[in-house]
Amino acid sequence: MTENALIQAARLAGRTSLDELSGKRLLAQYGVAVPKSVVVQAGDTLAPKLRDLRAPYVVKVMSQDILHKSDVGGVRVRIQDAAAVEGAIREMLGRSEIARARLDGFLVEEMAPPGHELVIGGLRDPQFGPLVMVGLGGILVEVLKDVAFRICPIEPIDALEMLDELKGRALLDGVRGQAPVCKRAIVDALMRIAGADGLLTRLGDDIAEADINPLIVSERGAVAVDARFILRPEGTPV
Amino acid sequence: MNDADRILETFKPLFEPRSVAVVGASSTAMTPANVFIRRMREFGYTGTMYPIHPSASEIDGLPAYRSFAETPEPIDYAYICVPAAHIPKMLAAAAGRVRFAQVISSGFGEVDEGKALQEELVSAAHAGACRMLGPNCLGMYSPRGRLTFVENASSDIGTVGIVSQSGGLGTDIVRRGQVRGLRFSGAVTVGNSADLGPNDLLEYYLADPQTRVVGIYLEAVKDGRRMFDLLKASRAAKPVVLLKGGRTQQGLLAAASHTGSLAGDDRVWVALSRQTGCLLVDTLDQFLDTLLVFQMLSPRNDRPTREIVMFGNGGGTSVLATDLFARLGLDVMPFGEATLDALKALKLPPGTSITNPVDTPVGTLQQDEGRIAEKILDAIYSTGNPQALVMHLNMAAFVGRTRGDVMGNLMQAVLRVQSRYPGRTHFILALRSDGEPEVEMRKRDFRKQALALGIPVYDEMMNVGWALAALCAHERFLSRERQ
Repeated sequence: MTENALIQAARLAGRTSLDELSGKRLLAQYGVAVPKSVVVQAGDTLAPKLRDLRAPYVVKVMSQDILHKSDVGGVRVRIQDAAAVEGAIREMLGRSEIARARLDGFLVEEMAPPGHELVIGGLRDPQFGPLVMVGLGGILVEVLKDVAFRICPIEPIDALEMLDELKGRALLDGVRGQAPVCKRAIVDALMRIAGADGLLTRLGDDIAEADINPLIVSERGAVAVDARFILRPEGTPV
Repeated sequence: MNDADRILETFKPLFEPRSVAVVGASSTAMTPANVFIRRMREFGYTGTMYPIHPSASEIDGLPAYRSFAETPEPIDYAYICVPAAHIPKMLAAAAGRVRFAQVISSGFGEVDEGKALQEELVSAAHAGACRMLGPNCLGMYSPRGRLTFVENASSDIGTVGIVSQSGGLGTDIVRRGQVRGLRFSGAVTVGNSADLGPNDLLEYYLADPQTRVVGIYLEAVKDGRRMFDLLKASRAAKPVVLLKGGRTQQGLLAAASHTGSLAGDDRVWVALSRQTGCLLVDTLDQFLDTLLVFQMLSPRNDRPTREIVMFGNGGGTSVLATDLFARLGLDVMPFGEATLDALKALKLPPGTSITNPVDTPVGTLQQDEGRIAEKILDAIYSTGNPQALVMHLNMAAFVGRTRGDVMGNLMQAVLRVQSRYPGRTHFILALRSDGEPEVEMRKRDFRKQALALGIPVYDEMMNVGWALAALCAHERFLSRERQ
């Protein structure tokens, strides 16, 4: 079905979705910025492994059994050094949901600079094929419902119009003294995901749903801080 | 031969059939197929009609034949209305002698027990080298081919191309549409769309030089991706108006992601419209109003319509319309200094309001038997640059109360000013009636006159607003595509 090695590997492992690390690697393959990261195991000596990463760090548990990491205490942010990372991992292992789960390890990432939280989503419509969504609010996206959809592939003007369609578009221009966000970086990310050669356009037959949430956008650029890709069952008619 | 020519050649026998077979007419009873024969005669069909019947030698004065294989010439268009189970065999036996078959009968894919039969029907049609419309539809209307399923349809060849997945609504579109001034290049009901469907007809109308605007009533789309590709490739060269039924029932799939849970309702249709410029409407009225504006006016690609001048009798009407237009994204902006000065200089009678909207009671309008409008509009056009002018006339205030042809003079005055500023300002007329028979009669005549002069006419300001909003959206898309 697919040419993509990350998707093939997930399917071979019997998974119905990509784990966070694979998801981010997939994004990186298509040129979407993701935080620099390393995978560690409980008990590892971390200082040498974290040498190439700049603090502060984020630590996330990696397990196919855990769908919503934050809900089980599986995400810790603003960690300043290797010792504190080790402490955070020990603490996570003390939580019953995490202790019970099949663990792939822990993802240690550079923490993205603060900015506006956006969402880029993907969905395969049975009639129209892959759709792309952009929305405001990061984790609040389902509350705010301030989103715009397009059919893949999109053109840069579609990406700009998607942002214009958002009710909260003024936030992107900077309100109350805030710096405007880099719209070009959002458009660039949307094109890499939904343009003619974008991820969803190319892999739309494999991907049932996608959440890049949040995409943190500052005046410096856009970084995909979390990513979920849910695969279409193999053999689903295209 | 390029793609467009190939498509036109393929569909020519459907829109201009030289031979028509009718299956289901009776020599003793009045069936839908007998009605079809009668309508075709009344409509002035000039080709040959061949009733197909298992035993009768003559039906409605026409010699009848046993099967498609026996007619003296191949059939361009076959109208088939007999019980569902007989049809597949009949089509398979056509052996290349029927180009297009329209299956009116129901009892196929629209009911569970007919799904298998529908598949059989499609295979049979393909085996007989025939393209099929339907099943479960009403027929087609093609004034250029003198072909109709609609009673009392206009024989004028127009520029509006329709494809409808509902037969009944197809009839409504043609009959209500023609009363409002629409004239059609064709109207095809495609029912279950088992073989040919909305996309195929869309592709045809986009290629057809007779068609200037396309209207589609859609319930279930079978290949949305193809519709997207067709619309996108056409870059809104012709406006396409889409009335989509069942939009609220979408997005019921269980979603595992945030994105999935937010995709509900009709977001994909909104996306389609934003990306391809097709115009999404919610009601039959909006559909017809929007088609009319594109039939009558030439969209601009450099100056999207947004700023509107409103002119007529009825202060409250123009206040309400200003609010409505604003909600639709249109502006009824007060005039600038220069326009106001020019209007003041006309010294119009008291009770006339010369800001925009221009509110002119009948007393003002009947000055010079209506020719005053020319001075008012000259003042507006020479000092400003309106993108559209809406004249609204409350007809009850004229009928029986004014002498001479005030309304006719008003309209002529506008047209004279329009001709001095060609291509600058879209002109739309609203003829508001209170429903009294005398007023209605006058309205009907006046609507005809105005339409004949190329002016789109609407019943109420709401209808004007919908039409202008669609025109604005289309023009904005054209200017977007130009960049």
